[in-house]
Amino acid sequence: MKNLVCIIITVLIIGVLLIAASELPEFGNPDNPELNSLSKGYIANAMIDTGAKNIVSAVILDYRALDTLIEATVLFSGAIAVMAVLKGIE
Amino acid sequence: MHDLILKNIVKFITPCIQLFGLYIILYGHISPGGGFSGGTIIASSLILKHITFGQSSIPSIFRKDSALKLIGFALILYSLMKGYSFLGSQFHFPHPPTGVPGNLFSGGFILPLNIIIGTIVSATIYNIFTLFVNE
Amino acid sequence: MALFHNYYDSASIVLFGIGLATLMLNKNLIKKIIGMNIMDTSVFLFLVSKGYIAGRNAPIITDKYEGINAYVNPIPSALILTGIVVAVSVTAFLLALTIKMHEIYGTVDLEEILKMK
Repeated sequence: MKNLVCIIITVLIIGVLLIAASELPEFGNPDNPELNSLSKGYIANAMIDTGAKNIVSAVILDYRALDTLIEATVLFSGAIAVMAVLKGIE
Repeated sequence: MHDLILKNIVKFITPCIQLFGLYIILYGHISPGGGFSGGTIIASSLILKHITFGQSSIPSIFRKDSALKLIGFALILYSLMKGYSFLGSQFHFPHPPTGVPGNLFSGGFILPLNIIIGTIVSATIYNIFTLFVNE
Repeated sequence: MALFHNYYDSASIVLFGIGLATLMLNKNLIKKIIGMNIMDTSVFLFLVSKGYIAGRNAPIITDKYEGINAYVNPIPSALILTGIVVAVSVTAFLLALTIKMHEIYGTVDLEEILKMK
């Protein structure tokens, strides 16, 4: 009985999400609204400003370096949380 | 473990894994890779050595208390290099030269930041592994 | 139909449903954690596939710079790196809590834990 209710809820959620995803823009179209001037600016200026040939590295370590700092802090605090649960806070 | 094949092969192959991970970290601004994937590869080689030979075969800088000091020092270094933008909009930190794209020493702050991220990720993932093993 | 042409969106939604069913139907705590990891992976697949443009190469400059219309959008790849690290951190914390529950209650089965209190 409980298994049947769980399966019906899952099928309902998949159905609603698929109806919403059928109205998204086409896959691989160069006229999509998410390709605005920001990505064109990053590709055009990455080699001149930073001197790196890897555009993804230039984005995460030069234009958006603060996000990478916060992510390293989250990884470190995850290790501290595991240490606090398993070894006890003193 | 008391297996003869495992001990001989791990003794031979650990420097090869670490050299490969170091190449992926250092050439992060020329070819795909960077700090995160290279740090995970070096952490996996440390975990392999821990399983085969025991806890005493890892240098003591990766153990519990020294690893926390190492990661804290690395995070302070990172925030000194890139945290000046909170002071105002007209501050420009003197940075290493940009150079010719394609060399190893090019790209300003990208190479030191990759090395810092590599040490942080490898020390953290190895530390999480040692907390789950009981002996 | 539109759902068959962008197949990455529909595949990631079906994976999300599979992960949700795994989370709800099992009684073991470790299998629930596996279901949560499957849901995380499906969201990453959905977001990364939004950056593809047909007929262009990966955003790495090899020999000479080929202009602005020869590379794929680099921004979604850079944003998912942070997401993957956060997912690893959350999974490690959940597994530590499971070890603590096994020490206190003696079992990893959820229905026996609910009957025991």
